[in-house]
Amino acid sequence: MNYLKEVWGSRELLFNLTSREVRGKYKRTIFGQLWSLANPLALMLIYTLVFGIIFKSNPEPGNPSGLNVFALWLLCGLLPWTFFANVVNTASGSLVGNANLIQKVSFSRIVLPLSTVGSSAYNWAFEMAVLVIALSIAGGFVLPWIPLVLVAMVLLAIFAAGVGLLFSIANVYFRDTQYLLSIVLQLWIYLSPIIYPTTLVVSKSKELGGLLGTPITLAGLYDLNPIVHFVAIFRALMYDNRWPDPSEWLICLAWALVTLLLGAVVFRRNERKLAEAL
Amino acid sequence: MSNNTAVRVDHVTKTFRMYHERNQSLKSAIMRGRTSVHEDFLALRDVTFDVPQGSTFGLIGSNGSGKSTLLKCLANIYYPNQGAITHFGKIAAMLEVGSGFHAELSGRENIFLNGSILGMSKKEVTRKLDEIIDFSGVEQFIDQPVKNYSSGMYVRLGFAIAINVDPDILVVDEVLAVGDADFQAKCFAKFADFRNAGKTVILVSHSMETVKTMCDHAAWLNHGTLETVGEAAPTIDAYLRSLNGPAA
Repeated sequence: MNYLKEVWGSRELLFNLTSREVRGKYKRTIFGQLWSLANPLALMLIYTLVFGIIFKSNPEPGNPSGLNVFALWLLCGLLPWTFFANVVNTASGSLVGNANLIQKVSFSRIVLPLSTVGSSAYNWAFEMAVLVIALSIAGGFVLPWIPLVLVAMVLLAIFAAGVGLLFSIANVYFRDTQYLLSIVLQLWIYLSPIIYPTTLVVSKSKELGGLLGTPITLAGLYDLNPIVHFVAIFRALMYDNRWPDPSEWLICLAWALVTLLLGAVVFRRNERKLAEAL
Repeated sequence: MSNNTAVRVDHVTKTFRMYHERNQSLKSAIMRGRTSVHEDFLALRDVTFDVPQGSTFGLIGSNGSGKSTLLKCLANIYYPNQGAITHFGKIAAMLEVGSGFHAELSGRENIFLNGSILGMSKKEVTRKLDEIIDFSGVEQFIDQPVKNYSSGMYVRLGFAIAINVDPDILVVDEVLAVGDADFQAKCFAKFADFRNAGKTVILVSHSMETVKTMCDHAAWLNHGTLETVGEAAPTIDAYLRSLNGPAA
């Protein structure tokens, strides 16, 4: 409880560090904030070409929205994913990158990884706003779902913050973390229904039945990945324009809270040792 | 007791690990089943003293005597292994100036950023903004990115922010030696204001001249142990004597 108070007391610093990242990032570029759209757009073009056109991974049309555009379907999962990956990446380097500050000034250390969540969320919100406009132009009826999309965004941000806190500490003790992380994230995107629909995994799972004679199915293992559930919510709300399965909400809520709690506890345990360990 | 003590250092011991091999990689941690081989180095050994309120307190000693470690413990950057440090009042530390400046942001933006790192609220910074800019003497360039500042301007701005945190207890490392003579005079005047306002300053310096002119109390550390603490003049004399003739 005291810790919460301390973190709450640092909210202004958190805000300032976030805006330092946001404002510093695109300084001296001609296109400024537009650059934050460049990366998802490039990925969208590549994946649409490879998976939408060449491999013909045709997801079902949005129900009831009736949308049937691979690129839009892709972005509904890709934007949350790139946000998550960005947060975990930048948060994991946030303590090591600010070693000098940690060794010279006393302040609530947790604001460093948390500010990366803030600055990534700022860019993400911008991307999502553009996506909502694109979906509306394509004939989707997204606007009434925006409040729920925001709730889902907050849940994903909480989950990302928890994972980011854990990796930021791990990176202080083992600098391998940052390299390992980029591999993990590459694997993780293919283990998540970002560029292919979950239905592919489900039908494959039915074909295989219980793995190695156990009742464990492929789909059962697949469901252990929290990103599967987050993406399901975003696709249901934004692409299909319908209520997501309530169980998906509960699973995401549980993942978000447990991860944040774990991250905060681990962080607090190590916070005082940081100045020496760095 | 607490109304005339600003900081109580109570049986503080601080050890550091000296690593013979430090494995910051997972491979070696897993292969050997341990992350490091180390022995403990005692940087501070059972140090106890009180800093009286309203005093300017000097920490003196040779290199490697533990002054900076103690300073970092006072500033809540390191935490003692044993013992405790109690502050009676708001404490601020100046171990480095301009920490956390963002090179691409303007001086003005950095004042707000740095101020909040040092624990000031936005309101406080806004209130003191003119004073800070005035003190730093970089009015003309305040809306330029700080990467274009000369090193002198950079430190002056950092110092101006730090000194305006307005704590009850100020902990200062040897950052006094920044800027030209003019700016140094300004700094000393600011420290004098501090003392006149009944605030406490804790200072680490190698310059006995500085300590002599500024401090009324001092503590002498030698290889992590406290040798003498008390009035500044006799403590400094004792320290200087030990340097000149250890046999005598």
